[in-house]
Amino acid sequence: MARPRTDAPPMRDSPLRAVQVEALAVMKIIKHSSQQHPTIATGALVGLDVNGVLQITNCFTFPTVNAPADGQQDSASSLATAAPRAKANTGYQNEMIRLFKEVNVDANNAGWYMSTTMGNFISQNTIENQFFYQKEINEKTVALVHDVGRSSQGALSLKAFRLSSTFMTAYREGKFTVESLQKSNLRYQDILVELPVTIHNSHLITSLLHQLPAPVPTEELSIPPTLDALQANAPAGPLAPNFAALDLSIDPFLEKTSDLLLESIETHHTELNNHQYYQRSLAREQSKITAWQAKRKAENAARVAAKQAPLPEDEWQRLFKLPVEPSRLEIMVNSRQIEQYARQVDGFAAGASAKMFAVRGNLIPEADNRD
Amino acid sequence: MAVPDSFLHLARPLGPATVGSQPTTTPLKVVVQPQALFSILDHTLRRHPEQERVIGTLLGVRSEDGTEVEIRNCYAVPHTETQEQVEVDMDYQKQMQALHLRANPREVLIGWYATSSKLDTFSALIQNFYGQQGDGTYPHPAVHLTVSTNPGEDIEIRSYISAPIGVTPERSEDSCLFLPVPYELKYGEAEKSGLELISLAKDREDRSQATLTDVESLEKSIVQVLDLLDRVSNYVNNVLDEEATPSQAVGQYLLNALSLAPKVDPANIERDFNNHIQDVLVIAYLANTIRTQIDLSNRLATAALTAAATEGIGGPGGESGGHQKGGQDGRRGGRGRGQNRRTEE
Repeated sequence: MARPRTDAPPMRDSPLRAVQVEALAVMKIIKHSSQQHPTIATGALVGLDVNGVLQITNCFTFPTVNAPADGQQDSASSLATAAPRAKANTGYQNEMIRLFKEVNVDANNAGWYMSTTMGNFISQNTIENQFFYQKEINEKTVALVHDVGRSSQGALSLKAFRLSSTFMTAYREGKFTVESLQKSNLRYQDILVELPVTIHNSHLITSLLHQLPAPVPTEELSIPPTLDALQANAPAGPLAPNFAALDLSIDPFLEKTSDLLLESIETHHTELNNHQYYQRSLAREQSKITAWQAKRKAENAARVAAKQAPLPEDEWQRLFKLPVEPSRLEIMVNSRQIEQYARQVDGFAAGASAKMFAVRGNLIPEADNRD
Repeated sequence: MAVPDSFLHLARPLGPATVGSQPTTTPLKVVVQPQALFSILDHTLRRHPEQERVIGTLLGVRSEDGTEVEIRNCYAVPHTETQEQVEVDMDYQKQMQALHLRANPREVLIGWYATSSKLDTFSALIQNFYGQQGDGTYPHPAVHLTVSTNPGEDIEIRSYISAPIGVTPERSEDSCLFLPVPYELKYGEAEKSGLELISLAKDREDRSQATLTDVESLEKSIVQVLDLLDRVSNYVNNVLDEEATPSQAVGQYLLNALSLAPKVDPANIERDFNNHIQDVLVIAYLANTIRTQIDLSNRLATAALTAAATEGIGGPGGESGGHQKGGQDGRRGGRGRGQNRRTEE
């Protein structure tokens, strides 16, 4: 097992340490995701938990939801995101797993997967799905997120997430007020726990891979007779490494990420406004109450002076209704999403700037002498 | 692949030769996608130890004229085989097909696979079942894919279609003529990154590989390119030293490649470079600023109250909200402008 490497801090209380995905499941997820792109693809994972390592051995897609004819891509996407916890799919899932069992596939629900672009996957929907899985189906389940956009730029982007136990508790209670957050000490960074993902091949697949045109031949090659012959018999590219990582297009990625970031900030802003509105109305109500209390006190003083029984002073609880504090869940989820973007940009900037310096160094050799 | 079979391929009529309604003629091209192959191999590993081979159904898409099929998906079908008889779980096959069609409505039944290279009477029986009218692939021929999975030997993949043979109807039921057809293993652009990672694990003892970060995969690519360049320059040097045989073709190829290098004014490069690197760095900087701001905002929202908890709920909370808001607004304005300039470029 390779050394785990995660963005999020490792959780001690998590029943799973790592996720190991079979090549078969990886390929199926990639196929489904790229087929559905740009709509979100979702499906279920099956596998086994072996000493804290969740081995995902197979997966299957959820039935495509027929979006209403007038529906745009958005509604199709939201239907697809909601699919993992849809009632109809639970039946489908059970049926599929039952059939899997007959052919000796690990018939154990291991979670679900979804596709995304540019890391835009943290939403209430995702969290609700994972909550549903962790609560209803099996504690040891994960959400695998495959980023189609990022995978096309080189390295495969496949991440496994779980909800942390503190968040599970809070979500079960459904309370995300300032007070409850202070008490549970839940921060937005703690919503999701990322688990290290490793890819695992069976012996047969290893054997197959060794037959495929793999690395560049190292032995002496025969010299081609003509240029045409050389071009006609161009050797097949190796599977690894794939040179997509050397692609120099930077702007589309930056533009997309900036758009997404702006969108998130917009959401954050709206949510803050909601909270501010709440604070204002709370303050208003509070001042009304204070005024009322002062008035009642004065009245009572007058009544005492007039030798009358004082009026009760806690009547304000019936008279005034304090506004309900809006849930901070949306803010937290959104914050986590922004954090995800920021990390993504960090990773991208590291590669991009290296590539750009390389290009400059290549095109202006004298730059080296000057520096 | 193991030694690819070479055979002459002839177009010939298939199916019962009812004059007038000729089903389809070969040749047929079969394209196999890796995930289907992986799935077959996975099934082999999960068979009962006494089972010699396992079979399953192939799903995929067929081109409009039916001459090219693409195997995209497959699933295992339980079956039992003895000396005298073979039994395929038809119910299972139907249920599974229905379930698969719900998830992938575009995929159709293509044929079946078996995990051994041998073709026998049972193969013919099953082949006729898959190619029959009604539930089968009729009028298109059913494709039969064999994947040999003997340990220690190369994996051998063969694809066939069949033509009926036999003098009486009873005989023709359990016999057919398997015609080899060429197949091709193809993967799409999207699967490349997945296959890359999977094949990275092939030389490792534990057959596993952790996912790579962007920088790691960049490093791998660069090292590989450097190796290739070294090799080419080595060859060129050897030619210059008259140690290797010079080749006109290679020379021409290299010259063509070298002439692709753009000739641009250094000043232009410098300018473009600076523009782009600034873009990258600004976005990275802004993204991190935003992250910090959000963190701060979250902390303020929950922490400001702790300090002021004793003073009642209303006042201080509202104030802290106001502060955050101000900070938000100012930053938003600044960012918005920066962003617009960026995207216009």
